[in-house]
Amino acid sequence: MKYKLELVDLEKSFSNKKVLDKLNLKVIDGEFLVVLGPSGEGKSTLLRTIVGIENLDSGKIIVNGTDVTFKPPNKRNIAMVFQNYALYPNMTAYENIAFPLKMARTDRNSIRSKVDQVAKLLNIEPQLNINVTRLSGGQQQRVAIARALVRDPALFLLDEPLSNLDARVRYTSRQELKRLQKELSHTFVYVTHDQVEASNLADRVAVLHNGVIEQIGPYNELYEKPNTQWVGDFIGTYPMNFIPGDLMGYPDSTIGFRTRWVSEGNDITAKVTLIENSEGNYFVHCKTGDSDIVIRTDTKYNVDDTISFGLERFNIYKNGVLEEIKSGNSVASSGINDVDN
Amino acid sequence: MKNKNMPSYIIAIILAVIFIYPLYILILIAFEPISLTFDRLYPYQLPFIFTLKNFEASIKDLSLIKPVIRSIIVAFTVGILAIALATPAGYGLNKLAARFSNKIIMLMFVVNMMPAIVIAIPISVYFIKVGLYNNIFGIALAQELVVLPISVFIMLGGFRALPQDIENQAMVDGASIFHSFRNVILPLIKIPLLISFLLAWMTSWDEFTYAVIISPVNPTFPVSLYDYVSRGEPFIASSFALLVTIPVIVIVVVLQKYLKGEYLSGGMKI
Ligand SMILES: Nc1ncnc2c1ncn2[C@@H]1O[C@H](COP(=O)(O)OP(=O)(O)O)[C@@H](O)[C@H]1O
Ligand SMILES: [Mg+2]
Repeated sequence: MKYKLELVDLEKSFSNKKVLDKLNLKVIDGEFLVVLGPSGEGKSTLLRTIVGIENLDSGKIIVNGTDVTFKPPNKRNIAMVFQNYALYPNMTAYENIAFPLKMARTDRNSIRSKVDQVAKLLNIEPQLNINVTRLSGGQQQRVAIARALVRDPALFLLDEPLSNLDARVRYTSRQELKRLQKELSHTFVYVTHDQVEASNLADRVAVLHNGVIEQIGPYNELYEKPNTQWVGDFIGTYPMNFIPGDLMGYPDSTIGFRTRWVSEGNDITAKVTLIENSEGNYFVHCKTGDSDIVIRTDTKYNVDDTISFGLERFNIYKNGVLEEIKSGNSVASSGINDVDN
Repeated sequence: MKNKNMPSYIIAIILAVIFIYPLYILILIAFEPISLTFDRLYPYQLPFIFTLKNFEASIKDLSLIKPVIRSIIVAFTVGILAIALATPAGYGLNKLAARFSNKIIMLMFVVNMMPAIVIAIPISVYFIKVGLYNNIFGIALAQELVVLPISVFIMLGGFRALPQDIENQAMVDGASIFHSFRNVILPLIKIPLLISFLLAWMTSWDEFTYAVIISPVNPTFPVSLYDYVSRGEPFIASSFALLVTIPVIVIVVVLQKYLKGEYLSGGMKI
């Protein structure tokens, strides 16, 4: 397997707050890797250390097989789109996009043809000669992405590039970004706290927690087989339900299950506290013992009803870590639809 | 509305009169025959006769030309030196955490609160040793002391106002520190640079204390103007003073556009 980027035992602290704690990650050539984590978890810090504008405490960064740990940002062969776009406000869109080429001493004619090409790709040709401060948020975001794509670096880093856009533009931009990445077969490391983005864009999702990649894999895998209770809780529109293992005959452990992994039966008895109606399904919030859980049903229950149900599959966690996967005959469909709901 | 603003208008008018009256008198003295101004016990306050005689006399009297040229050289030296020193200083301070850089700026201002005369005399003693006494560059260096804190303050504000990550982006885009400064940062700090330069220029233009102590023999213009007034030729001095007030008025008009803006806040949130 060829890796575009290898991170070895990255450590980074601010004053005495540890942000990256021996983080390891390998990014495959041509893949769209999404780093997912809650705000303040260190996603931006991770990208900033990879690109070299933040110093590491220790660890190694290998790009395309070359150790770049001690190289300055302009020698790392990495393009980055910052969260706030960081466009050069005194320049037009054209000048912004041309800037990296100008710095690489590309000749004038090939600058023009390259900028035109990438502008066409991103649909910003009409805006090329407008000062970037007068463009809309969506157009600015395209210029920022164009400025990265106009180069041909080993690796692209994108820090929540769609977070400042309104929902509609965000949706279309997402599709385009994915298409561009595949068409040009670039390697993307894309940072976000948005699960929908992660599930739609990623070949693999890396969940960042407590300064390490807690789990990495396709979104479905994270959804169905979270390695830890924390990942189960974090991934999905609804957190994974957790109940004491005793209820199902597994002492000293915790049972985790998704809203739709329920079936007829009476493994669990619970009291309804709230009903949410979402596109023909009912999401029933209920309480069993001390645990709050949410299950998806077709039946309309009422608040304060006592209901009972079985589990057709569930995960067993010991000390917060996945121990065993119990699945019945009919494995539920992928969890991805849950996210879209 | 009108009634509400009335008091502030009245105050503004009173203040304007207080500040403009001396300038008015200066103009009167410059353009009226001496018989109507200095030769009278109670000079007329309104213009009666217009004359350019004083101007002719002052321009013919070449002894004031040299100090003017000296002043111009000193003012430009102080202005250029101010931005040459304050730009890297502001850039560096901006890299520090605000609580440190604010303290350093504060320290610069506090040190500057010492009366000029207390500093000027030891400096002149030292300048005699190193050959900067009675030298226009000696004056410029001493005046730099006065202008530098405000220049650094303004430049720091300019750097703080830069968009976040713009410099990092330039580096990621392959720019060296030199290119990132010249192509990205410099165009964005033009206005703070202009303000620093003009304020320094203006401060130097009418600075007196350092000038008179460090270079009494080859004086700058404000110093020789004082000589003229004390020697009893104030009408020539007035018309000359008027001539050299013109650049200051031009600068103030230019600066006015920015003086109320965020540029003087040093990028600090108040
Ligand atoms: N320059 C800095 N100085 C001090 N603390 C910082 C700095 N940058 C980030 N942090 C801290 O590091 C943590 C991670 O920040 P960040 O990487 O921006 O998180 P994310 O991008 O995941 O929201 C946060 O707690 C933040 O306060
Ligand atoms: Mg961030």
